[in-house]
Amino acid sequence: MHIAEGFLPAGHAVGWTVAAAPFVVHGARAVVKEVRENPETTLLLGAAGAFTFVLSAIKLPSVTGSSSHPTGTGPGAILFRPPVMALLGTVVLLFQALLLAHGGLTTLGANAFAFAVVGPWAGYGAYRLARAAGAGLLPAVFAGVALADLATYVTTSLQLALAFPDAGSGLAGALAKFLGVFAVTQVPLAIGEGLLGVLLFRVLTVNARPELERLGILRPAPVVPAGGAA
Amino acid sequence: MTGLAVDDAAWGSAWRCRAPGDKLLLCGGLVVVALVLPAWPGSVLVGAVAVGLALGPARVPARTFARAVRWPLAFVAVGAVTAVVEVGSGGPGWAPDAAARAGSLVGHALAGSAAVLLLATTTPVSDLLPALRRAGVPAAVVEVASVVYRLLFVLLDSLRTIREAQAARMGYSSLRRSYRSSGALAGAVLLRSWERARRMQEGLAGRGLETGLRVLPETLPSSATFLVATTAGLAGIVGTSLVLA
Repeated sequence: MHIAEGFLPAGHAVGWTVAAAPFVVHGARAVVKEVRENPETTLLLGAAGAFTFVLSAIKLPSVTGSSSHPTGTGPGAILFRPPVMALLGTVVLLFQALLLAHGGLTTLGANAFAFAVVGPWAGYGAYRLARAAGAGLLPAVFAGVALADLATYVTTSLQLALAFPDAGSGLAGALAKFLGVFAVTQVPLAIGEGLLGVLLFRVLTVNARPELERLGILRPAPVVPAGGAA
Repeated sequence: MTGLAVDDAAWGSAWRCRAPGDKLLLCGGLVVVALVLPAWPGSVLVGAVAVGLALGPARVPARTFARAVRWPLAFVAVGAVTAVVEVGSGGPGWAPDAAARAGSLVGHALAGSAAVLLLATTTPVSDLLPALRRAGVPAAVVEVASVVYRLLFVLLDSLRTIREAQAARMGYSSLRRSYRSSGALAGAVLLRSWERARRMQEGLAGRGLETGLRVLPETLPSSATFLVATTAGLAGIVGTSLVLA
Protein backbone atom coordinates (compact mmCIF):
# COMPACT_ATOMS: atom_id res chain seq x y z
CA MET A 1 0.00 0.00 0.00
CA HIS A 2 1.85 3.06 -1.28
CA ILE A 3 0.48 6.61 -1.30
CA ALA A 4 -0.08 7.58 -4.94
CA GLU A 5 1.62 10.53 -6.63
CA GLY A 6 -0.07 13.86 -5.88
CA PHE A 7 -2.31 12.46 -3.13
CA LEU A 8 -0.58 14.27 -0.25
CA PRO A 9 -0.62 18.08 0.02
CA ALA A 10 2.74 19.70 -0.83
CA GLY A 11 3.54 20.60 2.81
CA HIS A 12 3.01 17.02 3.98
CA ALA A 13 5.05 15.59 1.08
CA VAL A 14 7.98 17.86 2.01
CA GLY A 15 7.57 17.17 5.74
CA TRP A 16 7.69 13.37 5.36
CA THR A 17 10.66 13.66 3.00
CA VAL A 18 12.52 15.64 5.68
CA ALA A 19 11.51 13.05 8.30
CA ALA A 20 12.74 10.10 6.20
CA ALA A 21 15.95 11.81 5.04
CA PRO A 22 18.15 11.20 8.16
CA PHE A 23 17.40 7.46 8.10
CA VAL A 24 18.04 7.15 4.36
CA VAL A 25 21.25 9.22 4.62
CA HIS A 26 22.38 7.05 7.55
CA GLY A 27 21.73 3.96 5.44
CA ALA A 28 23.57 5.50 2.49
CA ARG A 29 26.60 6.26 4.70
CA ALA A 30 26.60 2.67 5.98
CA VAL A 31 26.50 1.40 2.38
CA VAL A 32 29.26 3.81 1.21
CA LYS A 33 31.51 2.72 4.11
CA GLU A 34 30.85 -0.96 3.41
CA VAL A 35 31.47 -0.58 -0.34
CA ARG A 36 34.67 1.43 0.25
CA GLU A 37 36.07 -1.31 2.49
CA ASN A 38 34.75 -4.21 0.38
CA PRO A 39 33.94 -3.19 -3.23
CA GLU A 40 32.42 -6.62 -3.90
CA THR A 41 29.61 -5.81 -1.40
CA THR A 42 28.01 -3.67 -4.15
CA LEU A 43 26.82 -6.84 -5.86
CA LEU A 44 25.45 -8.45 -2.71
CA LEU A 45 23.60 -5.27 -1.74
CA GLY A 46 22.27 -4.96 -5.29
CA ALA A 47 21.07 -8.56 -5.08
CA ALA A 48 19.37 -7.78 -1.75
CA GLY A 49 17.57 -4.78 -3.28
CA ALA A 50 16.53 -6.74 -6.36
CA PHE A 51 15.24 -9.54 -4.10
CA THR A 52 13.11 -7.04 -2.11
CA PHE A 53 11.63 -5.73 -5.38
CA VAL A 54 10.96 -9.24 -6.67
CA LEU A 55 9.51 -10.40 -3.33
CA SER A 56 6.91 -7.65 -3.67
CA ALA A 57 5.98 -9.17 -7.05
CA ILE A 58 5.09 -12.58 -5.55
CA LYS A 59 1.33 -13.09 -5.48
CA LEU A 60 0.37 -14.14 -1.99
CA PRO A 61 -2.85 -16.23 -1.83
CA SER A 62 -5.51 -14.69 0.40
CA VAL A 63 -8.05 -16.56 2.47
CA THR A 64 -10.75 -14.58 0.63
CA GLY A 65 -9.72 -16.20 -2.64
CA SER A 66 -8.01 -13.12 -4.08
CA SER A 67 -4.26 -12.43 -3.95
CA SER A 68 -2.10 -9.56 -2.78
CA HIS A 69 1.58 -8.60 -2.82
CA PRO A 70 3.90 -8.60 0.22
CA THR A 71 5.97 -5.52 1.12
CA GLY A 72 9.19 -7.56 1.21
CA THR A 73 10.94 -5.37 3.78
CA GLY A 74 10.45 -7.68 6.79
CA PRO A 75 12.74 -10.51 5.62
CA GLY A 76 15.20 -7.87 4.33
CA ALA A 77 15.31 -6.13 7.73
CA ILE A 78 16.07 -9.44 9.51
CA LEU A 79 18.68 -10.51 6.95
CA PHE A 80 20.41 -7.19 6.20
CA ARG A 81 19.45 -4.91 9.19
CA PRO A 82 17.19 -1.80 9.16
CA PRO A 83 19.80 0.88 8.25
CA VAL A 84 20.64 -0.91 5.00
CA MET A 85 16.93 -1.50 4.34
CA ALA A 86 16.26 2.26 4.76
CA LEU A 87 18.38 2.84 1.66
CA LEU A 88 17.47 -0.32 -0.26
CA GLY A 89 13.78 0.17 0.54
CA THR A 90 13.92 3.73 -0.82
CA VAL A 91 15.66 2.52 -3.99
CA VAL A 92 12.99 -0.18 -4.38
CA LEU A 93 10.22 2.42 -3.89
CA LEU A 94 11.80 4.63 -6.56
CA PHE A 95 11.89 1.67 -8.96
CA GLN A 96 8.32 0.70 -8.09
CA ALA A 97 7.22 4.27 -8.91
CA LEU A 98 9.13 4.28 -12.21
CA LEU A 99 8.59 0.68 -13.33
CA LEU A 100 5.19 -0.26 -11.88
CA ALA A 101 3.49 3.12 -11.24
CA HIS A 102 3.15 2.16 -7.54
CA GLY A 103 3.62 5.19 -5.27
CA GLY A 104 5.10 8.36 -6.69
CA LEU A 105 7.95 10.86 -6.67
CA THR A 106 6.54 13.61 -4.42
CA THR A 107 5.20 10.90 -2.08
CA LEU A 108 8.52 9.01 -2.10
CA GLY A 109 9.51 10.53 1.27
CA ALA A 110 6.22 9.57 2.94
CA ASN A 111 6.29 6.07 1.48
CA ALA A 112 9.97 5.67 2.41
CA PHE A 113 9.21 6.67 6.01
CA ALA A 114 6.49 4.00 6.29
CA PHE A 115 7.95 1.25 4.07
CA ALA A 116 11.72 1.64 4.45
CA VAL A 117 12.09 3.14 7.96
CA VAL A 118 9.18 2.34 10.33
CA GLY A 119 8.36 -1.11 8.85
CA PRO A 120 11.92 -2.51 8.93
CA TRP A 121 12.72 -1.05 12.39
CA ALA A 122 9.44 -2.31 13.91
CA GLY A 123 9.90 -5.73 12.30
CA TYR A 124 13.54 -6.03 13.31
CA GLY A 125 12.68 -4.87 16.85
CA ALA A 126 9.96 -7.52 17.15
CA TYR A 127 12.31 -10.19 15.79
CA ARG A 128 15.09 -9.29 18.26
CA LEU A 129 12.66 -9.08 21.20
CA ALA A 130 11.20 -12.47 20.34
CA ARG A 131 14.68 -14.00 20.05
CA ALA A 132 15.77 -12.38 23.34
CA ALA A 133 12.64 -13.80 24.99
CA GLY A 134 13.75 -17.29 23.94
CA ALA A 135 11.56 -17.77 20.86
CA GLY A 136 12.86 -20.00 18.09
CA LEU A 137 13.99 -18.60 14.74
CA LEU A 138 10.75 -19.27 12.86
CA PRO A 139 8.29 -17.81 15.45
CA ALA A 140 10.57 -14.75 15.74
CA VAL A 141 10.63 -14.41 11.94
CA PHE A 142 6.81 -14.59 11.85
CA ALA A 143 6.56 -11.83 14.49
CA GLY A 144 9.15 -9.66 12.73
CA VAL A 145 7.79 -9.99 9.20
CA ALA A 146 4.11 -9.62 10.17
CA LEU A 147 4.84 -6.60 12.38
CA ALA A 148 6.95 -4.93 9.65
CA ASP A 149 3.93 -5.18 7.36
CA LEU A 150 1.45 -4.00 10.02
CA ALA A 151 3.68 -1.07 11.07
CA THR A 152 3.94 0.06 7.44
CA TYR A 153 0.15 0.00 7.07
CA VAL A 154 -0.47 1.81 10.39
CA THR A 155 2.10 4.51 9.50
CA THR A 156 0.57 5.04 6.05
CA SER A 157 -2.89 5.35 7.64
CA LEU A 158 -1.47 7.90 10.13
CA GLN A 159 0.08 9.88 7.27
CA LEU A 160 -3.27 9.97 5.47
CA ALA A 161 -5.13 10.90 8.68
CA LEU A 162 -2.72 13.79 9.33
CA ALA A 163 -3.24 15.03 5.77
CA PHE A 164 -7.03 14.63 5.82
CA PRO A 165 -8.33 14.98 9.42
CA ASP A 166 -12.02 14.32 9.90
CA ALA A 167 -14.07 17.53 10.21
CA GLY A 168 -16.12 16.12 13.09
CA SER A 169 -13.86 13.72 14.96
CA GLY A 170 -10.43 15.16 14.05
CA LEU A 171 -7.25 13.14 13.73
CA ALA A 172 -8.48 10.18 15.81
CA GLY A 173 -11.60 9.76 13.69
CA ALA A 174 -9.64 10.03 10.45
CA LEU A 175 -7.09 7.47 11.69
CA ALA A 176 -9.90 5.06 12.61
CA LYS A 177 -11.40 5.54 9.11
CA PHE A 178 -8.18 4.85 7.21
CA LEU A 179 -7.14 1.98 9.51
CA GLY A 180 -10.59 0.42 9.12
CA VAL A 181 -10.77 0.74 5.33
CA PHE A 182 -7.28 -0.61 4.62
CA ALA A 183 -7.47 -3.31 7.35
CA VAL A 184 -9.60 -5.42 4.98
CA THR A 185 -6.56 -6.05 2.78
CA GLN A 186 -3.62 -5.24 5.05
CA VAL A 187 -4.30 -7.37 8.15
CA PRO A 188 -4.69 -10.65 6.17
CA LEU A 189 -1.65 -9.58 4.12
CA ALA A 190 0.44 -9.09 7.29
CA ILE A 191 -0.47 -12.59 8.51
CA GLY A 192 0.16 -14.03 5.03
CA GLU A 193 3.51 -12.28 4.74
CA GLY A 194 4.48 -13.57 8.22
CA LEU A 195 3.73 -17.13 7.04
CA LEU A 196 5.69 -16.51 3.83
CA GLY A 197 8.63 -15.31 5.94
CA VAL A 198 8.50 -18.52 8.02
CA LEU A 199 8.46 -20.68 4.87
CA LEU A 200 11.27 -18.61 3.32
CA PHE A 201 13.51 -18.97 6.39
CA ARG A 202 12.70 -22.69 6.63
CA VAL A 203 14.01 -23.08 3.06
CA LEU A 204 17.06 -20.96 3.89
CA THR A 205 17.97 -22.89 7.07
CA VAL A 206 18.08 -26.06 4.96
CA ASN A 207 19.73 -24.70 1.79
CA ALA A 208 21.69 -21.62 2.88
CA ARG A 209 22.87 -22.30 6.44
CA PRO A 210 26.40 -20.87 5.83
CA GLU A 211 24.92 -17.58 4.54
CA LEU A 212 22.59 -17.33 7.56
CA GLU A 213 25.54 -17.99 9.88
CA ARG A 214 27.59 -15.32 8.11
CA LEU A 215 24.71 -12.83 8.50
CA GLY A 216 24.45 -13.68 12.23
CA ILE A 217 20.94 -15.16 11.94
CA LEU A 218 22.08 -18.64 13.05
CA ARG A 219 24.89 -19.59 15.39
CA PRO A 220 27.63 -21.65 13.70
CA ALA A 221 27.08 -25.35 14.26
CA PRO A 222 29.54 -26.80 16.81
CA VAL A 223 32.46 -28.59 15.17
CA VAL A 224 32.30 -32.31 15.90
CA PRO A 225 35.80 -33.70 16.48
CA ALA A 226 36.86 -36.37 14.03
CA GLY A 227 37.06 -39.95 15.25
CA GLY A 228 34.86 -41.87 17.70
CA ALA A 229 34.89 -42.02 21.48
CA ALA A 230 37.87 -43.59 23.16
CA MET B 1 11.56 -7.18 -23.98
CA THR B 2 12.36 -6.86 -20.27
CA GLY B 3 9.08 -8.25 -18.96
CA LEU B 4 7.91 -5.00 -17.33
CA ALA B 5 5.48 -3.18 -19.62
CA VAL B 6 6.48 0.33 -18.48
CA ASP B 7 10.19 -0.41 -18.99
CA ASP B 8 9.49 -1.96 -22.41
CA ALA B 9 7.55 1.18 -23.35
CA ALA B 10 10.46 3.37 -22.20
CA TRP B 11 12.97 1.50 -24.40
CA GLY B 12 10.60 1.60 -27.38
CA SER B 13 9.45 5.21 -26.97
CA ALA B 14 10.07 7.79 -29.70
CA TRP B 15 11.52 9.99 -26.91
CA ARG B 16 14.05 7.33 -25.84
CA CYS B 17 16.91 9.30 -27.45
CA ARG B 18 15.97 12.65 -25.92
CA ALA B 19 18.29 13.83 -23.14
CA PRO B 20 17.09 12.53 -19.72
CA GLY B 21 17.62 16.01 -18.26
CA ASP B 22 15.17 17.50 -20.80
CA LYS B 23 12.52 14.92 -19.91
CA LEU B 24 13.18 15.37 -16.18
CA LEU B 25 12.58 19.13 -16.54
CA LEU B 26 9.30 18.55 -18.39
CA CYS B 27 7.92 15.77 -16.17
CA GLY B 28 9.29 17.22 -12.91
CA GLY B 29 7.71 20.55 -13.84
CA LEU B 30 4.37 18.89 -14.58
CA VAL B 31 4.50 16.98 -11.26
CA VAL B 32 5.16 20.18 -9.28
CA VAL B 33 2.52 22.15 -11.20
CA ALA B 34 -0.03 19.36 -10.64
CA LEU B 35 0.72 19.42 -6.92
CA VAL B 36 0.57 23.16 -6.26
CA LEU B 37 -2.10 24.45 -8.66
CA PRO B 38 -5.84 24.09 -7.93
CA ALA B 39 -7.33 20.89 -9.34
CA TRP B 40 -9.51 22.95 -11.68
CA PRO B 41 -8.14 23.78 -14.13
CA GLY B 42 -4.49 23.00 -13.18
CA SER B 43 -4.74 19.22 -12.74
CA VAL B 44 -6.96 18.86 -15.80
CA LEU B 45 -4.45 20.75 -17.96
CA VAL B 46 -1.47 18.79 -16.58
CA GLY B 47 -3.26 15.48 -17.07
CA ALA B 48 -4.29 16.34 -20.62
CA VAL B 49 -0.77 17.52 -21.54
CA ALA B 50 0.93 14.46 -19.99
CA VAL B 51 -1.42 11.96 -21.65
CA GLY B 52 -1.35 13.87 -24.96
CA LEU B 53 2.46 13.96 -25.06
CA ALA B 54 2.77 10.28 -24.07
CA LEU B 55 0.29 8.96 -26.65
CA GLY B 56 1.23 11.54 -29.31
CA PRO B 57 4.86 12.56 -29.89
CA ALA B 58 6.36 9.99 -27.47
CA ARG B 59 4.32 7.15 -29.06
CA VAL B 60 3.71 5.22 -25.85
CA PRO B 61 1.16 2.42 -26.41
CA ALA B 62 -2.22 3.57 -25.04
CA ARG B 63 -2.83 0.10 -23.55
CA THR B 64 0.42 0.25 -21.53
CA PHE B 65 -0.38 3.74 -20.26
CA ALA B 66 -3.95 2.81 -19.32
CA ARG B 67 -2.92 -0.42 -17.57
CA ALA B 68 -0.22 1.39 -15.57
CA VAL B 69 -2.72 4.03 -14.36
CA ARG B 70 -4.97 1.29 -12.93
CA TRP B 71 -2.72 0.77 -9.86
CA PRO B 72 -2.74 4.34 -8.53
CA LEU B 73 -6.41 4.64 -9.54
CA ALA B 74 -7.49 1.92 -7.08
CA PHE B 75 -5.64 3.57 -4.18
CA VAL B 76 -6.81 7.06 -5.17
CA ALA B 77 -10.47 5.99 -5.38
CA VAL B 78 -10.49 4.25 -1.97
CA GLY B 79 -8.39 6.99 -0.33
CA ALA B 80 -10.48 9.86 -1.71
CA VAL B 81 -13.81 8.31 -0.67
CA THR B 82 -12.44 7.61 2.84
CA ALA B 83 -11.13 11.17 3.14
CA VAL B 84 -14.50 12.77 2.42
CA VAL B 85 -16.57 10.55 4.73
CA GLU B 86 -17.25 12.23 8.09
CA VAL B 87 -17.66 10.30 11.31
CA GLY B 88 -20.15 12.20 13.47
CA SER B 89 -22.30 11.33 16.49
CA GLY B 90 -25.01 10.05 14.16
CA GLY B 91 -22.63 7.69 12.36
CA PRO B 92 -20.71 8.10 9.11
CA GLY B 93 -21.92 10.48 6.39
CA TRP B 94 -20.62 12.60 3.53
CA ALA B 95 -18.78 15.84 4.33
CA PRO B 96 -20.65 18.98 3.13
CA ASP B 97 -18.07 19.64 0.39
CA ALA B 98 -17.45 15.94 -0.30
CA ALA B 99 -17.76 16.05 -4.09
CA ALA B 100 -15.43 19.06 -4.46
CA ARG B 101 -12.80 17.64 -2.08
CA ALA B 102 -12.90 14.20 -3.66
CA GLY B 103 -12.67 15.74 -7.12
CA SER B 104 -9.69 17.84 -6.07
CA LEU B 105 -7.89 14.82 -4.53
CA VAL B 106 -8.53 12.59 -7.53
CA GLY B 107 -7.54 15.39 -9.94
CA HIS B 108 -4.22 16.11 -8.20
CA ALA B 109 -3.35 12.42 -7.89
CA LEU B 110 -4.26 11.42 -11.45
CA ALA B 111 -2.52 14.44 -13.00
CA GLY B 112 0.64 13.79 -10.93
CA SER B 113 0.55 10.06 -11.74
CA ALA B 114 0.18 10.81 -15.46
CA ALA B 115 3.21 13.15 -15.31
CA VAL B 116 5.34 10.49 -13.53
CA LEU B 117 4.15 7.90 -16.04
CA LEU B 118 5.19 10.19 -18.92
CA LEU B 119 8.72 10.10 -17.50
CA ALA B 120 8.58 6.36 -16.73
CA THR B 121 7.31 5.36 -20.18
CA THR B 122 9.84 7.49 -22.11
CA THR B 123 13.02 7.13 -20.02
CA PRO B 124 14.61 3.82 -18.99
CA VAL B 125 15.78 3.82 -15.36
CA SER B 126 19.37 3.23 -16.53
CA ASP B 127 19.23 6.68 -18.21
CA LEU B 128 18.05 8.32 -14.98
CA LEU B 129 20.69 6.83 -12.67
CA PRO B 130 23.55 9.07 -13.94
CA ALA B 131 21.30 12.05 -13.11
CA LEU B 132 21.27 10.89 -9.47
CA ARG B 133 25.07 10.97 -9.49
CA ARG B 134 25.02 14.54 -10.89
CA ALA B 135 22.51 15.45 -8.12
CA GLY B 136 25.15 14.55 -5.51
CA VAL B 137 24.09 11.01 -4.59
CA PRO B 138 27.27 9.04 -3.65
CA ALA B 139 28.72 6.88 -6.44
CA ALA B 140 28.47 3.74 -4.27
CA VAL B 141 24.73 4.25 -3.77
CA VAL B 142 24.14 4.83 -7.50
CA GLU B 143 26.14 1.67 -8.25
CA VAL B 144 24.00 -0.38 -5.84
CA ALA B 145 20.85 1.05 -7.47
CA SER B 146 22.28 0.21 -10.87
CA VAL B 147 22.92 -3.42 -9.83
CA VAL B 148 19.37 -3.62 -8.40
CA TYR B 149 17.98 -2.45 -11.76
CA ARG B 150 20.05 -4.94 -13.77
CA LEU B 151 19.47 -7.91 -11.45
CA LEU B 152 15.76 -7.49 -10.94
CA PHE B 153 14.93 -8.52 -14.52
CA VAL B 154 17.03 -11.68 -14.13
CA LEU B 155 15.26 -12.47 -10.85
CA LEU B 156 11.81 -11.69 -12.27
CA ASP B 157 12.58 -14.11 -15.08
CA SER B 158 13.62 -16.78 -12.52
CA LEU B 159 10.46 -16.04 -10.53
CA ARG B 160 8.24 -16.62 -13.57
CA THR B 161 10.06 -19.81 -14.59
CA ILE B 162 9.98 -21.37 -11.11
CA ARG B 163 6.34 -20.38 -10.56
CA GLU B 164 5.37 -21.91 -13.89
CA ALA B 165 7.12 -25.17 -12.95
CA GLN B 166 5.42 -25.18 -9.52
CA ALA B 167 2.01 -24.53 -11.10
CA ALA B 168 2.55 -27.39 -13.56
CA ARG B 169 3.19 -29.66 -10.54
CA MET B 170 -0.11 -28.58 -8.86
CA GLY B 171 1.86 -26.33 -6.51
CA TYR B 172 -0.97 -23.79 -6.33
CA SER B 173 -3.94 -26.17 -6.24
CA SER B 174 -4.90 -25.37 -2.63
CA LEU B 175 -4.28 -22.58 -0.11
CA ARG B 176 -1.84 -24.71 1.89
CA ARG B 177 0.12 -25.73 -1.22
CA SER B 178 0.07 -22.15 -2.50
CA TYR B 179 1.74 -20.87 0.68
CA ARG B 180 4.29 -23.68 0.65
CA SER B 181 5.08 -23.00 -3.02
CA SER B 182 5.31 -19.23 -2.42
CA GLY B 183 7.81 -19.78 0.41
CA ALA B 184 9.91 -22.14 -1.70
CA LEU B 185 9.69 -19.64 -4.59
CA ALA B 186 10.95 -16.75 -2.42
CA GLY B 187 13.75 -18.95 -1.04
CA ALA B 188 14.82 -20.12 -4.49
CA VAL B 189 14.87 -16.56 -5.84
CA LEU B 190 16.93 -15.32 -2.86
CA LEU B 191 19.45 -18.17 -3.26
CA ARG B 192 19.70 -17.45 -7.00
CA SER B 193 20.28 -13.75 -6.32
CA TRP B 194 23.12 -14.56 -3.88
CA GLU B 195 24.60 -17.11 -6.27
CA ARG B 196 24.46 -14.71 -9.22
CA ALA B 197 25.99 -11.87 -7.15
CA ARG B 198 28.78 -14.21 -6.01
CA ARG B 199 29.52 -15.34 -9.57
CA MET B 200 29.45 -11.76 -10.88
CA GLN B 201 31.80 -10.71 -8.07
CA GLU B 202 34.21 -13.53 -8.89
CA GLY B 203 34.10 -12.63 -12.60
CA LEU B 204 34.71 -8.94 -11.91
CA ALA B 205 37.45 -9.71 -9.37
CA GLY B 206 39.18 -11.69 -12.11
CA ARG B 207 39.04 -8.55 -14.25
CA GLY B 208 40.56 -6.39 -11.50
CA LEU B 209 37.48 -4.89 -9.76
CA GLU B 210 38.95 -2.32 -7.36
CA THR B 211 37.18 1.01 -7.59
CA GLY B 212 33.63 0.15 -8.53
CA LEU B 213 31.65 -0.78 -11.62
CA ARG B 214 32.59 1.68 -14.34
CA VAL B 215 30.48 1.75 -17.49
CA LEU B 216 30.57 4.09 -20.46
CA PRO B 217 27.53 6.36 -20.14
CA GLU B 218 25.45 7.04 -23.24
CA THR B 219 25.51 10.75 -24.08
CA LEU B 220 22.17 12.05 -25.36
CA PRO B 221 22.27 15.69 -26.53
CA SER B 222 19.93 18.23 -24.99
CA SER B 223 17.52 20.05 -27.32
CA ALA B 224 17.18 23.83 -26.97
CA THR B 225 13.82 23.71 -28.79
CA PHE B 226 12.50 21.08 -26.35
CA LEU B 227 13.66 23.11 -23.34
CA VAL B 228 12.09 26.32 -24.65
CA ALA B 229 8.83 24.50 -25.46
CA THR B 230 8.83 22.91 -21.98
CA THR B 231 9.34 26.24 -20.22
CA ALA B 232 6.71 27.95 -22.38
CA GLY B 233 4.25 25.07 -21.89
CA LEU B 234 4.63 25.04 -18.10
CA ALA B 235 4.30 28.82 -17.97
CA GLY B 236 1.19 28.52 -20.16
CA ILE B 237 -0.41 25.97 -17.80
CA VAL B 238 0.35 28.13 -14.75
CA GLY B 239 -0.92 31.30 -16.47
CA THR B 240 -4.13 29.67 -17.75
CA SER B 241 -4.83 28.13 -14.34
CA LEU B 242 -4.38 31.44 -12.52
CA VAL B 243 -6.62 33.27 -15.00
CA LEU B 244 -9.39 30.63 -14.98
CA ALA B 245 -9.21 29.98 -11.23
